[in-house]
Amino acid sequence: MSEKTVLLQDTTAGSTAGTNDFFGIFKAALRESNLADNVRLVRVADMGIYNQGVVMTILPEDVTYANVGSNDIKRIIGVTLKHGNPVKDLLYQPKFHQMRLVLKNCGRLDPGSLDEYIAAGGYRALLKVVGQQSPEQVIADLTASGLRGRGGGGYSTGLKWKFTREAEGEEKYIICNADEGDPGAYMDRSVLEGNPHSVIEGMLLAGYAIGGTQGFFYIRAEYPLAIERVQKALDHARERGLLGDNILDSDFSMDIDIRLGAGAFVCGEETALIASIEGKRGTPVPRPPYPSVRGLWGMPTCINNVETLANVAPIILHGPEWFSGIGTQTSKGTKVFAVTGKVRNSGLIEVPMGTTLRDIVFEIGGGIASGKAFKAVQTGGPSGGVIPEKYLDTPVDYDNLQKLGSIMGSGGMIVMDEDDCMVDIAKFYIKFCVEESCGKCAACRIGGYQIMHILNAITEGRGALEDLDRLILISRAMKMSSLCGLGQTAANPIISTLTYFEDEYREHIVNRRCPARKCKSLLQFSIIRHQCKKCGLCERACPEKVISGDREHGYSIDTDKCIHCGVCFDVCKFGAVERV
Amino acid sequence: MATMTAQDFDEIKANVQAGNKNWIKVGMSTCGIAAGAGNTYRALEDELGKQGQTVSLRTCGCLGMCHAEPLVEVCIEGLPRVVYCNVDEDCAREIVRGHVMGRKLLQDYILAMHYEEAFS
Repeated sequence: MSEKTVLLQDTTAGSTAGTNDFFGIFKAALRESNLADNVRLVRVADMGIYNQGVVMTILPEDVTYANVGSNDIKRIIGVTLKHGNPVKDLLYQPKFHQMRLVLKNCGRLDPGSLDEYIAAGGYRALLKVVGQQSPEQVIADLTASGLRGRGGGGYSTGLKWKFTREAEGEEKYIICNADEGDPGAYMDRSVLEGNPHSVIEGMLLAGYAIGGTQGFFYIRAEYPLAIERVQKALDHARERGLLGDNILDSDFSMDIDIRLGAGAFVCGEETALIASIEGKRGTPVPRPPYPSVRGLWGMPTCINNVETLANVAPIILHGPEWFSGIGTQTSKGTKVFAVTGKVRNSGLIEVPMGTTLRDIVFEIGGGIASGKAFKAVQTGGPSGGVIPEKYLDTPVDYDNLQKLGSIMGSGGMIVMDEDDCMVDIAKFYIKFCVEESCGKCAACRIGGYQIMHILNAITEGRGALEDLDRLILISRAMKMSSLCGLGQTAANPIISTLTYFEDEYREHIVNRRCPARKCKSLLQFSIIRHQCKKCGLCERACPEKVISGDREHGYSIDTDKCIHCGVCFDVCKFGAVERV
Repeated sequence: MATMTAQDFDEIKANVQAGNKNWIKVGMSTCGIAAGAGNTYRALEDELGKQGQTVSLRTCGCLGMCHAEPLVEVCIEGLPRVVYCNVDEDCAREIVRGHVMGRKLLQDYILAMHYEEAFS
């Protein structure tokens, strides 16, 4: 018989010994069947499947079994290892898979090799279109595919291209918005670093469609590796005649340059981004006119996000029907999410639109790392909101998230457990927006600052119930009268935490208590006498020297002088410091 | 340089595919480098040189599994293609000695991945 490989792991939470035990039993069974030399038995670090008992994958058949018991080993050896047939009742049926479209070649290709990209089917879409199809045809395909902007707004990419094409202008520009700034989001960086040519090809196709003459990558300077790799990719493409004059021997000419952003969050807003490229201070201007009509240097300009552009070449190559076959009624294709926070497997994932939050957090993400209770997931960054547990089964798409008071945004997803305080989260985001506000309009400049003050007061035990109405009032004012998206959405995290976790706000205000024990000013520390081992570690660690006592009589905390820093709680190995 | 034609595209593809069938890829994006992929890469390079192995050592972008970086994918003819996770310098050297030379898959370092590709 041919050689086989068995990969196995006990995926029961917290059971590392289980894998070893099963490995031993299986090994013995293989020896008994005289297969020890023909079967490679390998313990796996992470099966990517969770809480399904012992899981094993058998290669080359590539069958996966879950919840395997030791009494199943005989059947697996007899049926699969000896004869290559599956044991049907043990087969693992995944509910769904990640689907990689944008990330397909990330981590597979050498980003510094144009040849590898071409060998993987790269620049074929450009070859298919340039000189062969009319720009109108390309735009029609994009519109029909249903692709919507992946940067946050979710506007139809095809329509954006159409308006830019129809606008009058001597020059037309295409800008790739790589000013990724949401806390916890880094999918664009990964795509630029892992597969820069896919974005360049998307830009060239966009340029061809809108009649573009020049393209710009607007990349934040904090992404030095992305900048280096994109520059290298541009140079390689230029050398091969894929960029510059008469691309692929046609009359289509376009070049692409890089412009660096200085890391201002507001410069992700398109009018501020344009100002920044023009060398002006990065502040937004009212729209309309939209950049598609009057953008960079007054010329029609199309601004697309990195992930949006990475979707373009596959759509052109495989057709709009293929693309619109993936996803939900209103949101087509896949979406890349950066799943971070309290989740076990933090990282980038790509799923078809319409995948539920529960599948993302618990199936792909592996659930909460600490094993504590799930509380909420934050989506959309500072413009988004939190989604509590009762909505975990919502299929994720642009419209569903909006209905829940959050947004898709660029795809950051921060998972939170019971240790996260929702008032504190709201405070974090508003602080971010206050720091990043450009200060041009009063609503955003003053509103954000006032919200921050109120939240500070609440988390420090100085809040009043009227503050809740005040928060809503200011939030509404910011939403209605701010100049750009930053200010209009800055209050979203406050509104959404207030909607779903008003109890928590009230608990802070009425009882001066933080249920998640996060807001340090509200915490009281004391030493539990019967648990204290009198080691004196807390006394030595206390920065204010307000813990007194000795190794004979034990220790106590002077609560009046305590600054609530929590160091004593952190250093105590015996759980003898109580925090309420 | 002359403009590329469909024929050139096919030729490049054929050349890339005809390249070394035995390779090791290290994920070297910001995330991987931050987790120590630079040291992993140098250890692989050093050990391959010491052992006189002609496996092609390459770099690639990020697979998205931040929690498991540094990631190293190994393809050696006759063995299944696998991704190793949390590859430190010791593990990197073990990959050369155990996987490449010993033709054995390493215990406790493989990361199984489940996803479908939207197109081929």
